[in-house]
Formats: sequence, C-alpha cells, structure tokens
Amino acid sequence: MSWHVAEDDLRAYVRGELAPPALWSADTHLAACAECRAVLNEVGDPVALDEGWERLDAELDAPRPGFVESLLVRIGVADHTARLLAATPVLRLSWLGAVAAVLVMTVLAANSVRASETPTLFLALAPLLPLAGVALSYGPALDPTYEMTVVAPMHGFRLLLIRTVAVLAVGLGLNGLATLALPSYGLRALAWLLPALALTATGLALAPRLGPVLAPGLVAGVWVAVLVIAEAQTEGTLAPYTVAGQGVAAVVAAFAAGLLYLSRDRFDSTSAHTPFAGFQDGGAA
Amino acid sequence: MTDLPTPPTVSAAGLTLRYGSTAALDDVSLRLGAGVTGLLGPNGAGKTTLLRVLATAVPADRGAFTVLGHDPNTTAGRQNVRRALGYLPQTPGFHPDFTAFAFVDYVAILKEMTNRAARHREVRRVLDEVGLGDVRGKRIRRLSGGMRQRVALAAALVGGPGFLVLDEPTVGLDPEQRMRFRELIASAGEGRTVLLSTHQTEDVAMLCHRVIVMAGGVVRFEGTPAELTARADGRVWSSTERDPGARAGWRTGTGSFRNVGDPPEGATLVEPTLEDGYLLTLDASDAASASSSEVTA
Repeated sequence: MSWHVAEDDLRAYVRGELAPPALWSADTHLAACAECRAVLNEVGDPVALDEGWERLDAELDAPRPGFVESLLVRIGVADHTARLLAATPVLRLSWLGAVAAVLVMTVLAANSVRASETPTLFLALAPLLPLAGVALSYGPALDPTYEMTVVAPMHGFRLLLIRTVAVLAVGLGLNGLATLALPSYGLRALAWLLPALALTATGLALAPRLGPVLAPGLVAGVWVAVLVIAEAQTEGTLAPYTVAGQGVAAVVAAFAAGLLYLSRDRFDSTSAHTPFAGFQDGGAA
Repeated sequence: MTDLPTPPTVSAAGLTLRYGSTAALDDVSLRLGAGVTGLLGPNGAGKTTLLRVLATAVPADRGAFTVLGHDPNTTAGRQNVRRALGYLPQTPGFHPDFTAFAFVDYVAILKEMTNRAARHREVRRVLDEVGLGDVRGKRIRRLSGGMRQRVALAAALVGGPGFLVLDEPTVGLDPEQRMRFRELIASAGEGRTVLLSTHQTEDVAMLCHRVIVMAGGVVRFEGTPAELTARADGRVWSSTERDPGARAGWRTGTGSFRNVGDPPEGATLVEPTLEDGYLLTLDASDAASASSSEVTA
C-alpha cells in the first residue's frame, strides 16, 4: 500500500462523519488494508466500530455512482442531491453534446457571416437553450418517474429548483464558453444572458397553467416573434439587445420569478383538469 | 357492509372527480383497516383514479379523506400522508440507466432519507425483501419484467410506509412470478394497510381480508371475500348445455356448462366462487344503471 487513511479520517469514519468522496476512498481502502483496519480497531469504541463495519458492508454492496454523479460529489454537491441530479435526463452527456454542437455551429456561422455589429443568430438562439434544458428536466411527459416523484414527501418545487439551477448552470456555462469564441463582438455577445433568465423564468412560471410542454413552447415562440418583428422594424441593434431591451428582460425575469414562487404549491400534484392543478389548503382543488 | 375487524386507518367520504362529463369517481366513501384490501372492477371502473387520489397524486373535485389520521388538504397533512405512503403506480417508470440499487436509493432520497449510511442499509433491506439482493448492481434495462416490477415494489416499500397503494402489480407476470408477488404482498400486509387494485379475483381470494368492488366510478360492494362469494349462493349451476336464461355461462374443462344468474327450477347448484359473486355484483350494477337510464329517459 502506497498510502493509508489518516487517523483523523479514521476517527471521523467511526463516528459516521466522514463525507464522500473521502468516505468512498476509506471504504475501498479499508477493505484491502489490514494495517488500517488494525488502526481502526484502536481508535473506535466497539459499538461504534460494529456500526462502522455494518456501514462498510452496505457501502461495498452499493454500486459505484456514474460519471456525472461522481463529478458532482467531487465538486462538493451532497451525495443525495447528486443522485437527484443524475436522474435529470438533460444532464446526460448525449444532451450536453448536442447543445455544444449547436453552439459551435452558431458561433462558426456568426464569425463567418459578420454582416452586422451584433451576432444576431447567436443572441437569438442562446437564450432558448437554457429554456429548453429546463423544460426537458421535469414534468409528466418527460420524467419517467414523475408519478412516484409527485407523491414523495420531498416538495416538488424543491426538486424543480434543484434541477433548474443545475441545468441553468450547465446551459449558461456552455453559452459563456461559446461567447468567448466571439471576441470581436466584446461585451455585446453577452446580451443573451438576461433574455435567457427571462425566458426560463417565464416558461417555468407559466407551466402550472399551460403545462410543461406548451408553456416553454409558447415562450420560445413569442421570443422568436419579437426578434422577427424587431428585425423588420430596426436597422441597427435589435431592440432586445439595446439597453432598454435588456432592462425589460430584467423586469420580466424578476416578475416571472415572483410568479413562479407564488405558484410553488402547484408543482406538488398532477390533475386531470390542468397540468399542475395542485392542492389548495383547506379543500380539494 | 360489515364492520372492519380493526379500527380504520384510511377513511374517505364523498370523493368525486370528473373528467369532462364522465364521473371517474362519484361520491365514493370507504374505510380501510390494517391488512390487504382488494379493489376489483372492470376497465374504466375508477380504480386507478381512486388510488391516485388516495396517494395524493391528484386532488379530488369534492370529498375528503384521511390516512393514518392525516388530512391531505393541508400542506402539513399532505406531507405526513406522503411520508406514510408507499405507491406502486400502474405503469411504474424507471431511469433505465440506473441500477436496481440506485433507483431504489433515488426513491429513498425523494422520501427524505438523506443519511447515506442509513439509507443504503434500508435500500439493501427492501431489495433483499423482494428477492433482488443478488442483482442490485444490475442496470434496470437488463432486468426482466417481473424483476422490474419487484424493483418498483421495493421502491414502494422503502422507508417502511404504513399505507401501501399497489395499482395492478401482478399484470403481465407469469404464474410463478404472480405467486411470488402474492407472497411479497401478503408479507407486506402484515402490520400495515395495503390497498391492492387488481383484475384477478384469484389475487383477492388468496391475499385479501377485505374487498371493494367498483363500477362506473361507484363503490358497488364493500366487505369480506366470503361475503362477496356468498352473493352467488344458490345462483351458480351446472348444465350439459348453456342455459340461455343465465347472466353468464361458459363451458368448463369437464365439458359441462357453468351458469351464473337466476337458476331454473331443479337446476344442479354448485359451490360459488369469489368470481361468481363479483360477476353478479357487476351484473346488478349494470341492471341498476339500465333501470336508472330508463327512469331518466
């Protein structure tokens, strides 16, 4: 053995306080290292040690987590949150690869056809990708375990937020990398950020009323219509990318976030009547 | 309706839910106690809707119910109902890339079990309980239909729920798997309330201490399997030809016909089964609906 588990870590292990990924390393190492097991016997009381062996037994039986889940734990995400995120379809490598491919093509097009002062095609597309990612991360049509999820005691809105934050972080990160590939536009290439937040928040806020497919679809349609109208009426920078347009996007994002918060209980059940009718305290909805 | 042998753990009154002009549930009231209660009924009877309402997946338009003393119409009460609930939906969905262990672990996290060591012990316990301890590391997409159904049952059992809702868990299973599943459900019913929706009267005969029959969104019978069977006392007879006056009749393996309905004078009566009682209950429902339609018309 080239290394051994530190004594402090072994004490934490016995107390059940050692967190992943150090816990996983200790589990694997202890199974193979008689020397560390001997130290473990010395540092722990017998009762706690029995519990530790039982835990080790359970851990060795547990299958190793997948790539995304391991990565999330290594960057500090709690293991139970990482498992919830691993069940989010749009965080799989295949979806992320498709998003990256779309962005690369858009950046290439923006760089090769530089007809205006702003990368219009990129700015039109970039806000739609986080919206699509969030829309595809929840809902009865897209989550195979939706019915089990909705009757679980974990609040549906909390799960939605966990997935939304993760998908937004990944989506905005990819968009940000794509922006770096458009250096000649400077900060103007970042004008997608506020519209992206506004579209995503509006899509989520409308989902309880219109459903998880129609709501983001409608929001995407309105965004495209706004761009087409702006293109037809303006010669220079399109309205959504002006200072006034960015201000409107910020206000819409804040308003939609408030509306989403007020609708949070509607993500807590399904209904035959509306996509997320929800329960209302004091009586059936 | 006979009294429950134990105090009710689940009580519902006046549950009504409409899909457009169709009443999926029409003023449904019932009481469940500890043990396995079977929910029988034809397709479209409202069984799945009732189970989804009691599992808090969908709110009823009208009516109220309590589970283990908790009222799901308040936020806190609903959380408590969900903490006490194990739910196996009619078509359980899976994340196919998950292993059996990872999937049950995922459901355990949704059930607020955040302590990793305790959660993994519990996941291992329920997988062992349903006989999947040896394949816990296998991906779900590589498991057979019967094994997937057992993974879903393990997910329902994780956390030791006091109220288990199982929607047609034996559909699509071969006879051996069905028998294995019955053993599991019988074991799960010890000390907890289980509501089992099924098309199979054998499931009810072998497993259930109570039975509810639904048709057209209405509860048509609530009692013991013996009481449902007793509805067919003196109303099942055998004959060499199909009796045209019978409500239902079919040729048996011995070549004679088994008839259910109002027997003619001198008919050779035979011992009724639970299925006979069930058929006659549904038939009475149809007759009542027809007569009601005639009155309305």
